[in-house]
Amino acid sequence: MEDLAVRLSDVHAAYEGEEQATLRGVNLEIPPGEQWAVTGPNGAGKTTLLEVINGLLPVVSGNVQVLGRPVSSSNHSIRSEISYVPQNLFFPPETPFLVQDVVLAARFGRIPFGRLPGRRDREQSKDALRSVGMAWAERRPVGRLSGGQQRKVLLARSLAQEATVLLLDEPTANLDPEAKKDLAELVCTVRDNLNATALIVSHESGPLLAASDRSIVMESGVITSIDAANVSVAGVG
Amino acid sequence: MFGLPWHILLPTLLGTLLVGALCSSMGIFVVRMNLSSLGFAMSHAAFAGAAFGLMLSRFDPLWTAMAFALLVAGTLGPLTDAARLRTDTIIGATFPFTMALGLIFIHKAPSSGVGNGALTLLWGSVLGVTMSQVALLSCTALLVVIVLRLFGKDVFAVLLDRKLATATGVNARRTFYVILFLVAIVVAVSLRVTGGLLIYALMILPASAAFQWAYDLKKILLLAPALGIGSAFLGFLLSLWADLPIGASIALACAIVFFASILFSPKRRRIIAV
Repeated sequence: MEDLAVRLSDVHAAYEGEEQATLRGVNLEIPPGEQWAVTGPNGAGKTTLLEVINGLLPVVSGNVQVLGRPVSSSNHSIRSEISYVPQNLFFPPETPFLVQDVVLAARFGRIPFGRLPGRRDREQSKDALRSVGMAWAERRPVGRLSGGQQRKVLLARSLAQEATVLLLDEPTANLDPEAKKDLAELVCTVRDNLNATALIVSHESGPLLAASDRSIVMESGVITSIDAANVSVAGVG
Repeated sequence: MFGLPWHILLPTLLGTLLVGALCSSMGIFVVRMNLSSLGFAMSHAAFAGAAFGLMLSRFDPLWTAMAFALLVAGTLGPLTDAARLRTDTIIGATFPFTMALGLIFIHKAPSSGVGNGALTLLWGSVLGVTMSQVALLSCTALLVVIVLRLFGKDVFAVLLDRKLATATGVNARRTFYVILFLVAIVVAVSLRVTGGLLIYALMILPASAAFQWAYDLKKILLLAPALGIGSAFLGFLLSLWADLPIGASIALACAIVFFASILFSPKRRRIIAV
């Protein structure tokens, strides 16, 4: 039985056409239920780290496991356990989707092939929207919401998905200070509600970093430091 | 055209309405995924296939047209993924290639008049629709319904955002390929009725018009085929009334519906509360 939520062993990853690997020999072990922050300058490999854990970017070498199961671009079932909120994902005003459907769609990876969403899926989505204070927007077009409201809807997706692992890429970027604070508190609430393991990329210090159990610093595709001595980081430096 | 007997008018009407529904339904995917040239590429692939069938003169051009359209559909997805280019770029590269193939096949065809058969696929022959073609179109409509029932939630997630769909465990690549195949099948079976040029109008305009009226994809999924059927019927009546070529009348009706939708779209209204 795997006692780790996320395990990366000597992972090298690169985007196509890149001469240099974006991740170089990364080792990481995150126990379940912990919240870790990832910081570092632009191009350090923070987003790549999340995409590798989610299987969106195949590794060149090394192993990635989530909840003891191997992650790869063809292993779709493990992704239904992982909620990934990409950086700067904003829906343009003409997006033809209602908020309730955007949240409901987060559960589709869990629904078996050929089946349609059922009553439980819809209730779960409604509850998720209520939890992030967006129940009022249920039947609103998602593209008509503000940036901060759209971020809340994406967090509601994580709740609706009942994810075990949360990967959030700069969840408070491009928001005004009040919305940043509001959203940071909400991220912590969502994580607590799900009792999930969270890996949060953040450029700036603030409540998200403060609430994290550990903080990873990345630079040039490697983990340069972790703020706790008892965590295995074989590939540091 | 009022003087035409019912055994010609009825299959024409039914075929036109079915093609209107099918093409505009596929148009939702094409418009939402910014693949507006897909219908064009598929129709030219089908044209090349039909020319190939006529050149060999042993196969029904419909089946070779469908084989070529499916071949292109089967190639487009993996090619886009492998080349890491926009699908529209790959489609743009496919289009002249299949067009050139079609012209070469016509050139190599054994008899001089054979090119006209293939060219019918570019211009269409709405009045030449038979009841067996209506049956084939009905079967295609049934197939579309079954496939969308099976892949419905995956298609829905991919239309929202392909990356987000993949991230939540939906097999977005497979879903994208399924969409390409559905478009290919619909284009190939509709081509003889509408022609490659009209199919573009029926695929893009009613779906684009539907996007002007609603923010809810579920409504658009109903509205687009309704507008497709409406445009086809309007074109059919216009052709009967003014004695115009039916294909051109349908394209004209599609354009009218599209521009009227832009003009009266509630999305463009500014509501100012005082």
